[in-house]
Amino acid sequence: MTHRKKRAKSGWSRRDFLRTAGVAAAAIAFPEIIISCGPQSGGTPTAAIPKPRKGASIRLLQWTSFVKPADAEFKRQAAEWGTANGVTVAIETVTGDQLQPKTAAAVEANSGPDIIQMQYGWPQLYADACLDVTNEVNILISKLGKPDPVNEAFCKVNGTWRAIPYTVVPNAWTYRTDYFQQAGVTSFPKTWDELAAAAAKLKTTGKPMSQTDGHAYGDSLTMWNPVLWGFGGKEVNADGKTVAINSKETRDAIRWAQGAVKAGLVVHPEWLDPDNNQAYHADRISGTLNGASIYIREKIEFHKYTDVTNNAPMPSGPKGTFAMNLIFNHAVMKWSPDADTAKAMLLALMEKDQYQKWTMIASGYNAGPFEALHGDPVFKTDPKLTAFEDVVAPGKWPGWPAMPSKKTAQAQTQYIVADMFAKALANGGTGDMEAAIKGAETSLKAIFERP
Amino acid sequence: MAVPTLKFAKPGTGRVIGDRFVGRAIRIYIPLLVLLIVTLFPFYWMAVTSFKSASELFDFSVSPLWVREPTLDWYKHLFTQTNFPHWAFNTAVVATVSTIISLFCSVLAGYSLARLRYRGADTIGWGIFVTYLVPPTLLFLPLTFVIRELHLFNNLWALILTYPTFLIPFCTWMLMGFFKGIPRELEEAALVDGATRIQAMVRIAIPLALPGILAAALFAFTLSWNEFLYALIFMNDSLVKTIPVGVTQELIHGDEFFWGELMAAALLGSVPVAVLYSFFVDYFVAGMTAGAVKG
Amino acid sequence: MGTATRTDAVPVWRRRRARIYDREAPLGYLLLAPTLVVLGIFLLYPFLFGIWLSITDSELGKLGEFIGLGNYRFEWRNTDGVFYTAVVNTFLYTGVTTVFKLGLGLVMALLLNQVIPFRRFVRAALLLPYIIPTVLSYEAWRWMFDPTFSVVNWLLVHTHLAAYPGPNWLGVPANAMAALMIVNIWRGTPFYAISFLAGMQVIPVDLYEAARVDGATRWQQLTNITLPMLRPVLLVVLLLSTILTFADFQGPFVLTNGAPYNSTQLLSIWAYQWGIPGGAIGLGAAISLVLFPLLTIVVAGVLFLLRRPE
Repeated sequence: MTHRKKRAKSGWSRRDFLRTAGVAAAAIAFPEIIISCGPQSGGTPTAAIPKPRKGASIRLLQWTSFVKPADAEFKRQAAEWGTANGVTVAIETVTGDQLQPKTAAAVEANSGPDIIQMQYGWPQLYADACLDVTNEVNILISKLGKPDPVNEAFCKVNGTWRAIPYTVVPNAWTYRTDYFQQAGVTSFPKTWDELAAAAAKLKTTGKPMSQTDGHAYGDSLTMWNPVLWGFGGKEVNADGKTVAINSKETRDAIRWAQGAVKAGLVVHPEWLDPDNNQAYHADRISGTLNGASIYIREKIEFHKYTDVTNNAPMPSGPKGTFAMNLIFNHAVMKWSPDADTAKAMLLALMEKDQYQKWTMIASGYNAGPFEALHGDPVFKTDPKLTAFEDVVAPGKWPGWPAMPSKKTAQAQTQYIVADMFAKALANGGTGDMEAAIKGAETSLKAIFERP
Repeated sequence: MAVPTLKFAKPGTGRVIGDRFVGRAIRIYIPLLVLLIVTLFPFYWMAVTSFKSASELFDFSVSPLWVREPTLDWYKHLFTQTNFPHWAFNTAVVATVSTIISLFCSVLAGYSLARLRYRGADTIGWGIFVTYLVPPTLLFLPLTFVIRELHLFNNLWALILTYPTFLIPFCTWMLMGFFKGIPRELEEAALVDGATRIQAMVRIAIPLALPGILAAALFAFTLSWNEFLYALIFMNDSLVKTIPVGVTQELIHGDEFFWGELMAAALLGSVPVAVLYSFFVDYFVAGMTAGAVKG
Repeated sequence: MGTATRTDAVPVWRRRRARIYDREAPLGYLLLAPTLVVLGIFLLYPFLFGIWLSITDSELGKLGEFIGLGNYRFEWRNTDGVFYTAVVNTFLYTGVTTVFKLGLGLVMALLLNQVIPFRRFVRAALLLPYIIPTVLSYEAWRWMFDPTFSVVNWLLVHTHLAAYPGPNWLGVPANAMAALMIVNIWRGTPFYAISFLAGMQVIPVDLYEAARVDGATRWQQLTNITLPMLRPVLLVVLLLSTILTFADFQGPFVLTNGAPYNSTQLLSIWAYQWGIPGGAIGLGAAISLVLFPLLTIVVAGVLFLLRRPE
């Protein structure tokens, strides 16, 4: 209540106030109404560009990017905008694991940062706490063109934008050209079958290709979902209700994985996200799937294997090429006393030249989620980085082809797909496939059939 | 009834003197050595890590147990490029104040529940204890609401006031155990001599329970020193963070860990406290008997 | 509490005690007041709220409706086995670590109670695992168990205790569970040791002197004096440690987070996965409270034991 009063006092127009208050109240009382009037509010002729309020203070919470200077640049830009507009800006960064409980606490207490970075399908989980930003996204669309479908799928809840597309952290293969040559593999595999064959040859060098199939926040999702999709498998049908994991396609995918592991691909159910990075830096493995962080850290800090490291996009399966990337978006939270200021800041940070200053410093770790931000100059600075640009387009979201929802978010956080593979890949690729699929099916049914 | 005179053991008095070395070795030194190695190895490893350069860190081609080119870079980074000194200060303040609050409450409550008889004592004792059954991983959500209502976000008081919620129940029960162990007759004698109940408590029961109080203090201090979840949720600015939260937030970047700094911070955040503790323990093992028989 | 009716039959000094008891209620409540205030403000509401959540279909940021035991039923009937794995693991984890922590803690306390060289150093050293911020020590352990960089395995291999590359600590279900336990024991033992050490200080030395006069061996002194006299402290420590281990989250979360394929899943992690990242906070609450009745029985049992000597 208090913040609403503040809002009214601080020079907001009565119309703005009524609109926001009304939407907020309606969102609490009748979520289904929002659904029906979502598109209208998006198309309202106002398309008013949100104006910052002098003297406001904005707090933004997001994860700590791997690339330290990129966080610094983001903070610098935000501070610069703050000074120009008389707004105090505070950027708080926490680790990926910590962002979730902090966000949950803010949502539960109905108070906290004005802007929170939404990872993956969080806008679905916290839809009621995120303000409608359809207007702002439309402004961005008019300037930057179409948003990437993955960002759109995550941000749009029942037709209403609940977050502003922010960035993609592309995941591609990072590999050692020297070991590949030594093993007689001349270029990075283009298909999963070729990858299995390459893994077999690389095994002989003593430096295998390795990947996690454990409970890693990023790496196990970005690996095993695309494998499943590449062979035509899916967790659930497009309706988001019918569990469809128990299929021939799933068996194809698992059979490929078992074959690859028997041939020489090493999977580590104990690895979390940092482990493949460390193994690579330590010259233990010849290839792994990861964000650009391995390559960037080699290039910037270690300088040991930079010259013999290259990156490659995802291989294709019989049913196509798929990738999964980390997707981050920014939501303006409903408790923010200065929501318009927050929206204005986000719009300013998404300005093309600002944004590309930031991606340049991020050295290829991030890609822009709008049409006009594609072909970012950073990927031209180093030909080895193009792989990270290439994986953006085939990117999908966990649960695809169903649209992201609370259910897909739950299936994702319970690592059901990765666990299915891990069970089947236990003991050198000889785990019980049928039991693994059965287990995944039961778990998925528990989630999707739960009222 | 006469006041029983109690003597308390000075460490090892009489019990070990005269032993042959071999017996002592088998009984004491060997087990001690094993325990020490097991306990200390991780610390040795952390210390070694904190002195290794980035490239040496991942190099297992030679013995990882030794540093070839020791570097103080990580320590330097910690002090110049992070707010570590602030975090350490905050952690110390929060841990000290919440320990004092918790002990004050628990000594009184423990005495009350162990020594005084009145309607409802059992139920309350139970009630205090049962609160542990809802784990903090869930408690933090509604607690956030309380903190918001009190406008304590981003304020060290939020931690100072919430930590006792998980310290008091333990300390109270721990002290109940100690108070129960003290012979009732000691206090009764004092009461017969005309002391008030409070005097009996302050002069007799509390000094006798001092080892328990100190143990409870160590427990409380350590748990607050290490607490992670509440500090993560309630604090926002880098300058008001505590060691566990600040260190992980600034030294883990995405999927890259900065081991050198992390381990340097871990050591700097624990070794001084351990040294402090050893003096503390010394005090309660060796010196506590002084006040015991005065009453 | 009914003492008045018995006063006539008891000796004078007892009667005086009875009168003192009559005056104890106000003081008792007074001494409890600070505790009750602190807990009342900061714990009562969250606690009741937590219980209430478990019987609703609440989601994060959206209070749900009362659904009785629906959440509990959901887990009991769920056939994917994760819940039952978590229950079994939680018991195993708590049981095994508690036995070790108790035993080692007692040994550590007995050792620390001796006159030994470098006493301060030894004490500081043995206390260290308990003091170091857990987030950091668990990360360090994770690294020590990492198959690529396991310094533990490096040692095992170089001392020829294991063949290269050594056990896969966190990647094989049984090993991963063992690793979780090792770390928990490593960290928890000093706490038992300190508590026991403190408990030993209040045992009257006369008892030992008398025992020695009677020719008791060290072992007899331990079993007949030290352990019985430690009982109140021992039981309290045991009780609390059991409950805290039951709810232990941080260590297992950092080390395995339930991997490989939920074989090290614990109730605390399972509850968190459903409640916070999954947003089904009501179900999460139900999972962590599902053992409430069972724990209550355990607690009641221990309380009964605790009470008996009076």
